This record gives sequence, C-alpha cells and structure tokens, in this order.
Amino acid sequence: MATYEYSYPSALESEERMLDDLQTLLDENSVVGRIKNHFMVVVSEAFTNALVHANNLNPERRIKVVISINKTRLSADIHDQGRDGLEGISSKKPPTSESESGRGVNIIRHYADSVSFIQTRGGGLKVSITIDREDEKITDKAK
Amino acid sequence: MEITIREEQGISILSLSGRLDLASGATLKDEIKGLLDKERKLLHLNLAQVEFINSSGLGVLVSIMKEVRLCKGRLTLSDLASYVQEIFEITQLSHIFEIFASEKEVMDSYQSETVS
Repeated sequence: MATYEYSYPSALESEERMLDDLQTLLDENSVVGRIKNHFMVVVSEAFTNALVHANNLNPERRIKVVISINKTRLSADIHDQGRDGLEGISSKKPPTSESESGRGVNIIRHYADSVSFIQTRGGGLKVSITIDREDEKITDKAK
Repeated sequence: MEITIREEQGISILSLSGRLDLASGATLKDEIKGLLDKERKLLHLNLAQVEFINSSGLGVLVSIMKEVRLCKGRLTLSDLASYVQEIFEITQLSHIFEIFASEKEVMDSYQSETVS
C-alpha cells in the first residue's frame, strides 16, 4: 500500500492546494473516472469541515491529510486541530432544502464504504474514510 | 474556476468551468451580485465544464438562488455533467432548482414564459 502525507495551514487557499495535490496523486496512481470524483468529493468535504468549522480558518492550526492507495481500496485520514471534536459533528442540525451548509457529512456517508469520526487526545477530530475500488468495477459493468 | 458571461435575449448566461467549491464560489457570488446590481435578473448558469462540485459549491448556488428570488428574478441551470447531476440528486437540490438538459431548452422556456 502506498501512503502519502500532506499538511496545510487553515487558510481558504489551502482547499485548492489540497485538491490540486489530490488530483495529481490520483492521476499518478491511475485512479480515474467516477471513483476519482467520489474520492475527491469525500476528502474535500472532510477537509472543508476541518478548515472552516474545526480550525475556524485559523492559519496557525493545521490540517493533516493522509492518503493510502492500493488495488482494492482508497483511504483518507483528515486530522484537524479544532476544539469542537465529535460534538461539532453530532450537534449539527440536518439541513433544510434551502440551507446553505450542512450537506457535507451526508455526502461523505453516501459515497464512502466506511467513515469514522475519532476524537483525538488534543481535542481535534480524525475523520477516516474508505472507498472500495471493487464498487467502481461493479458500477462500470452496470453501465 | 473560470466564468464567462454573455447576454442573449435579455438573459445573462454564465458559463462556468473548473471547480465549484468554497473559494471559487465566492467569486461566482460576486459576479452574480454585480449582475443583480445592474438589474439583470434573468440568470442562467451553464455547468457543462464544471468538473468538480462539493457541498460548499452547492451552498453558494442555494445562496444565489435566494438572492435572485429576493430580486424577483429567475435562475436556471443546464448541462450538468452526470457526476454533478448525481450530487444534486443525493442532496435533493434537484427539486429546488430549475435544471434543464441544454441551453436551448432554457431559451425555449424563457420564450414560452414571455408568450404566456
């Protein structure tokens, strides 16, 4: 399994940098098509949550992203340095049809084969997401 | 994200390309605000070249829809890539936006509204 680790300051421009890095990594590892889109969106949802809600766009707090790629699975761990931890996730109200936020966790749960939210000792949150590559083969066959 | 704007039959058509996310969404909101300030209230977003959208980008579109509604305007979307269409359906936002398959369908819709 190949594992790649990145670290970003909690600044607005980090979202684009992270997506650029992730896109390059997936291209280099020949991860293409729908599974590439799905993985990029779940990682971006967890990253944006860490950036805006947990780390509150404070550039002194960092976000660590660890990506693992093998033949059967794509995995991502997104670590923040916020203080809300699990409470920030569980206290969120479900979005109404016209809410401007609050859909990210639902999108992660829709696309991910597994997702866990673990509060670290420092209070930050580690979001771990996996998508099975077998699902993509099944989807491609169904097309 | 790149935004190109053209006018056709009184409708401002914005063609978006690239990623629609937190940072680029702010740019789009500014462009829309500029159009609404100029009383251009009939707005169409062509999403054919949008290669990535996340919940932040969707939130921006909801915000724009509410702004347009406040101004008594109309907002339409078209040419969603299958992946983008899928995100709209997962989040059930396909029910609250006017989404068309093509720009031609959009123009026909505006014309039939004018006739009726």
